[in-house]
Amino acid sequence: MLTVRNLKVEIAGVEVLRDVGFSLAAGKATVMVGRNGAGKTTTLRAIMGLLPWKAGSVRIDGTELGPLPGHARAGLGIGYAPEDRRLIADFTVEENILVPALVRRMSAAERTRRLDEVYSLLPQLAVMRARPGGGVSGGQGKIVALGRALMLADKVLLLDEPFQGLAPALALEYARTLAHLHSNKRDIAILVTESSPKLLNSIADATLHIERGEIESLASPGDVGGLQHA
Amino acid sequence: MFQTIVPLFVDALANAALIFFVAFGLTLVFSVLRILNVAHGSFYSIGAYVSASIGLWIVSAGLNPWLTFPALLVSAALVAALFGPLIERTLVQWTYGRGEAVQILMTFGLFLILEDLQRLVFGVSSYYEDTPVALLGSIEIGGIIYLNYQLLLIALAVVALVAMRVFIGHTRMGRLLAVVVADREISEALGIDTRRMFTIAFTLGIFLAALGGALATPTAGVAPGLGADTMVLAFAVAAIGGLGQVEGAALAAVIVAAARVLAIYLFPALDAVAPYLVMLIVLLVRPYGLFGKPAIRRI
Repeated sequence: MLTVRNLKVEIAGVEVLRDVGFSLAAGKATVMVGRNGAGKTTTLRAIMGLLPWKAGSVRIDGTELGPLPGHARAGLGIGYAPEDRRLIADFTVEENILVPALVRRMSAAERTRRLDEVYSLLPQLAVMRARPGGGVSGGQGKIVALGRALMLADKVLLLDEPFQGLAPALALEYARTLAHLHSNKRDIAILVTESSPKLLNSIADATLHIERGEIESLASPGDVGGLQHA
Repeated sequence: MFQTIVPLFVDALANAALIFFVAFGLTLVFSVLRILNVAHGSFYSIGAYVSASIGLWIVSAGLNPWLTFPALLVSAALVAALFGPLIERTLVQWTYGRGEAVQILMTFGLFLILEDLQRLVFGVSSYYEDTPVALLGSIEIGGIIYLNYQLLLIALAVVALVAMRVFIGHTRMGRLLAVVVADREISEALGIDTRRMFTIAFTLGIFLAALGGALATPTAGVAPGLGADTMVLAFAVAAIGGLGQVEGAALAAVIVAAARVLAIYLFPALDAVAPYLVMLIVLLVRPYGLFGKPAIRRI
């Protein structure tokens, strides 16, 4: 579904991604594990067109993303939730989730159908739909960002360090939500980046290790257990 | 005292309405593009020149004089359509993400070019075309005579403020602009063509400045140097209100108008300085302006 090959990205002359390559498949959840600064966020930002790349290619169902501006990539069915949530503070939770519907000029019927789907996959959101985006906690905000990304994710869902900064109980809730989403929405590929992968053991179909801007190994889910003790 | 203060205040308020249009455009461009356009005032004077020229032509061609009213609006739209996309696409876009110094130098250069361009096209003599003021006449309230045109200016400023609120709150384009203002990067990731939004906002900003200038010609005329004077005043109003705050700019325009009236009444020598004194005091107490919020630093 999404194929990344030999991706190379420089930020201010410094090589941040040296050689990143992987592919994501529909119905599969992939976890990208690596330390801070290894290149996880940069990889997702490059895919979304928020950073230009020096070399390499990213294809989604055969369409090369390189020549497309960032805003055109979202329209290809990629939903992205950044690590720092980035909600619109003076829009309500529901208005935040509906921004993609506004961008894509969805019909009222399509809008309702997709919003209902988001609410059924993430029932917490239905409860806080009328609250302002600036008035939800960090953990709730992550779920809102996930719901907003789902409005666009017809093919691929990219989640950047969703557990970063969450209290253990909220992280656990987010992991359960993600597992529920993964088992109920099988038509999309999911990529989650994380510095400590233990919460994602239950949903990871594949794990990628990223180190100094390179994918080190393609590990099967069993290997993740070993990493926990390291 | 009442007989002196009230007409002075109405006069100042009508002036404030014109400055509000300019400050409104300045603050709109700032909030969407994060650029302080030093050349913004030039579009006020260009709007004034164009509307005076069209007005004079309507009168000399013997057309219906009421056509001078739509001509005010058409002039502003013409200036915006001609300069907005062109300048944003060719010059302003090179300053994105390059720091304030580059933006100010570039837009200041643009200001100098536009000033000379105006002398080249319109000459150095002043233009005066007051058909709209003459057509509307005046009204007497409580023994004081007011120009209806000035009352119209105040009403138009209020209409513009309300129209912008409706646009931002209830139209697709306005909502998307609000998202771009709040977070440019996530806008792009959510599929919003931010470059297009920048062009639209910049053009809308120029339209507002040119509209201010067009509306000013019937009462004040237009002469070289108008652009610079207006820019400085509009900047003071935008800064008092808080950059990026439209309601703030509206309130600031009224405060500045009131300050000028007080100055004229009590210390006539301070008339021209009054707006800047207000700015000084407001910014000393609230560095982000009346309605401004301190910027939240991200990492």
